[in-house]
Amino acid sequence: MDLRTLTEAFGPSGQENEVRKLILDAAGKLCGDVSVDRSGNVICRKKGGDPGKPSVTFAAHMDEIGFIVTGHTDDGLLRFQPVGGVDPRVAVSKWVLVGPERVKGVIGAMAIHLQTKADRERVLDYDALYIDIGAREQKEAEKLCPLGSYAVFDTPYTEFGDGFVAARALDDRVGCLSLLRILESEYAGELCCAFVTQEEVGLRGSTGAAFHLQSDIVIVLEGTAANDLGDTPERFQVCVPGRGVAISFMDLASIADTQLFSALQDVAMEHNIPYQIKRAVTGGNDAGSFQRSGKGARTCVLSVPCRYIHSGNNVAKLSDIKAQADLAVAFLNSL
Amino acid sequence: MQADDFLRDVTAMRGLSGDEGEVSAFVADAFRPYCDEVTIDAMNNVIARKKGTGPKVMFCAHLDEIGLMVVSIEEDGSLRLGQVGGVDPRILPGQRVFVYGREKLMGVIGAKAPHLLSEEERKKNYTREDLYVDLGLPGDRVRELVRVGDQVQLDHRYTELQNGRIAVKTCDDRACVAIMLQAARLLQGLRHEADLYFVASAQEEVGSRGAMTSAFALEPDFAVALDVCHASTPGAPAWRTHKLDSLVASMGPYIHPALREKLTETAQENNISLQTAVVPRYTSTDADQIGESRSGVPTVLLELPLKYMHTTVEMLDLHVLKEGGRLLAHFAAAVRASWEDELWT
Amino acid sequence: MLRDTLQTLLSVYGPAGQEHAVADKLRELLSGHVDSMKTDALGNLIVEKFGSDENARTIMISAHMDHIGLVVTHIEKEGFLRVHAVGGINPGSVWGRKMVFSDGTPGICVIEPNTKGKTKPEMADLFIDIGASSREEAEKMVAIGDVAVYAPDFTALGRHKVASPAMDDRCACALLAELMMYADGQKHNIVGVFSTQEEVGLRGATVAAYTVQRDIGLALDVTAWGDTPETKLPAVKLGEGPAVKIMDRSMIATPWVRDKLFEAAEAAGVSVQREVLAFGGTDGGAIQKSRGGVPTGTLSIPCRYVHSANEVIDMRDMEGALKVLLQFVDLSL
Repeated sequence: MDLRTLTEAFGPSGQENEVRKLILDAAGKLCGDVSVDRSGNVICRKKGGDPGKPSVTFAAHMDEIGFIVTGHTDDGLLRFQPVGGVDPRVAVSKWVLVGPERVKGVIGAMAIHLQTKADRERVLDYDALYIDIGAREQKEAEKLCPLGSYAVFDTPYTEFGDGFVAARALDDRVGCLSLLRILESEYAGELCCAFVTQEEVGLRGSTGAAFHLQSDIVIVLEGTAANDLGDTPERFQVCVPGRGVAISFMDLASIADTQLFSALQDVAMEHNIPYQIKRAVTGGNDAGSFQRSGKGARTCVLSVPCRYIHSGNNVAKLSDIKAQADLAVAFLNSL
Repeated sequence: MQADDFLRDVTAMRGLSGDEGEVSAFVADAFRPYCDEVTIDAMNNVIARKKGTGPKVMFCAHLDEIGLMVVSIEEDGSLRLGQVGGVDPRILPGQRVFVYGREKLMGVIGAKAPHLLSEEERKKNYTREDLYVDLGLPGDRVRELVRVGDQVQLDHRYTELQNGRIAVKTCDDRACVAIMLQAARLLQGLRHEADLYFVASAQEEVGSRGAMTSAFALEPDFAVALDVCHASTPGAPAWRTHKLDSLVASMGPYIHPALREKLTETAQENNISLQTAVVPRYTSTDADQIGESRSGVPTVLLELPLKYMHTTVEMLDLHVLKEGGRLLAHFAAAVRASWEDELWT
Repeated sequence: MLRDTLQTLLSVYGPAGQEHAVADKLRELLSGHVDSMKTDALGNLIVEKFGSDENARTIMISAHMDHIGLVVTHIEKEGFLRVHAVGGINPGSVWGRKMVFSDGTPGICVIEPNTKGKTKPEMADLFIDIGASSREEAEKMVAIGDVAVYAPDFTALGRHKVASPAMDDRCACALLAELMMYADGQKHNIVGVFSTQEEVGLRGATVAAYTVQRDIGLALDVTAWGDTPETKLPAVKLGEGPAVKIMDRSMIATPWVRDKLFEAAEAAGVSVQREVLAFGGTDGGAIQKSRGGVPTGTLSIPCRYVHSANEVIDMRDMEGALKVLLQFVDLSL
């Protein structure tokens, strides 16, 4: 299983089937206890047998941001809304794939020559955007892309520059890739790798997984926004691709367990794994669900810095992706 | 009980979010003739069960209403208001209300008379802070009868219009409780494998709190939430509203696609027309909380179109309400244990 | 007594996510007074006192240990600390305030005067000056992720009022601690939950309410005020007694529990106020919705200038609240 295959799989929140199948296949080769729970999460369990060790879950989400078709116009265009947080400003002038059959479409915009000065300043909100699949009229559009069809950005996986990769869904297929790496390890206690659904639309899959897993420690593997280029002042950068896996002390959904936050840094230093501290309190992720579900859990988040997260072209450094998996495995071994 | 009689009576019952006692008792009594067990839990949810050996199915429509609350009492006896749930202040000026103080008191919502407002002021809507309740009583008498925290209920007037349409307050969501009651009645004549739970939930308007706790307690295998949605009115965007004359089934990440297909199949088999609503994220109904309960519950959302939602003149088509009862009953009868295996293919 | 317990608890460092020092202090105070003590995954301190009645109900009472603060997100080259809010801390309230970190390292919170024509300062306009001249020097004193809180500062105002940071919610912790210390042979079982992370979303109470077996829930917290020149809602006044909460954004008090609080107040001879809060929430919100639902109420202490460095309460309201609680745990429920 490689990152290209994972990021080119169709899996917006609510229709993760294709990704789920890939994961079931890949995980099945590494682990004997693989199942799908009531929220559609893929749960992989390895029991080491030592009751003295804390139970650990590593989690990453299978879903990506995308769009959903909400209507059809008389002239065959598709109306749509975002699934997950997609700023409308990144949608204009892009290519999309509609449905798992991947009907090609484009999100166009009125040509600049036809715009007034006032038009040019206005942000085009979703009510003013359409996906054009080249259909001639409504019936045709309805047949090919019925109401409720999901769409994703059409972005080919490309390695470029000095060890960088541009792809869609790095958030959070990088985490899924790290989970598969972790599944290769052994642990003396109870280990679970949870590939969850619907993180982007409200941490839904993890809420379900957290309830039945009830692990002592949960480490969430994510992609997080890096804002380092241009003339961004240092304090707004959040994290920088190339400096290693980013460890969070806090985000809007959870405060890291203080001991885990320290321990992860110690392990990284001991094993010379490049790491940085995520320098912002932004975003929210599955750690929020795991921490507060049932009897509660001690949690921390390890993220791969991703530029242009939640757009069609995520950019990350391959060495950071490796660092995320390396740190997770080293941490597991340290328990 | 006939659907429209039930609707007329249940929409009048007192039941603001958090204090649904009166309406819960009424609804429980209404379900009793058609169910094996009816209970009211600590949150005032009504749970009416029709026993079966198969999968547990939870149907859920909420019985609480939005309303107002006394937040302070002026020297002259006029009452200042807070809201319970989301109340558009624009529906309030000149409205009759009932204040549940030491006795039930009638009042009128007043504001500064228009001819005393400046041109500027007349261009803006009244906010809740500009309004007050006039009980027609002197200040000291008001203080004997009314206290901070007392509830204020909107006026109830069941109005029959043309073409089987009616307008009354709290169709949101007691019209869907009526749908569930219809279904329970029709199921007397149908065989069902599933273990059915009709839940009339509390505190939906303040965050689906009743649905959350009842789903936790019941642990259903599948769920159908029932709520109202917006019917077309002038100026409302076409892609956010539906026609008044048929039911709506939602689709989107929060709606389980396999279960939804079962619902649409049942509708087709029984000649019940269904419109589609696409919801990219929160449905803002009990479906959201139920779907997240415990390890997750495959859930679908069925909606009844309503014009003028959250006003005292919410309008629906009675024929559609009855169709809803039919659809729910046939769906309940169709549920099979084998559906579990079809969830994630 | 109550005032001493209050003063002790007010000075302990404990922002959301790092409440262990407060829990330690409470363990010290309660040792010998309770039947059990334990801590869970989120750091909630849960203590129990068994009731004497054979039909005893179990009442879960929650007061949160955490208070608001500022977390360091970045250290500038010149040694200034950039911060983000932990809980609802208003940038306008922190200007010029003395803050302290967990080890006592002090700093002054500043809003850079040049706020580019904005009418209201934002978090991004703040920094904390700890007197370091460079990033290297600052890194020896604090780390990214460290949290600063308002420096402890207790002041008596007039005859009955006291001002201090962290009144929200250490005054309730003091009440709960005193209840656990002085309840003796009461009818019902009391499970006292000193909860964590309330200020960031009732997180500790959510977890505690799931695991604690309880029949009834009660939250203790501060509420806002309505007795200064421009502020009239909620309609509560300092010195006129504790407030029984009817409703806030997190919870509509279960009517019969609310009524029992009124009954307890009457039996105790304490005059109480009625509170409707248009915003805000307490642990009660988490408790009521837990598992299959729990009848829950909240008893509030009116507090002026909530979330500022000088939260003001009236000790008479505190004394009244303690009497109401002692009565409540002995009522027929």
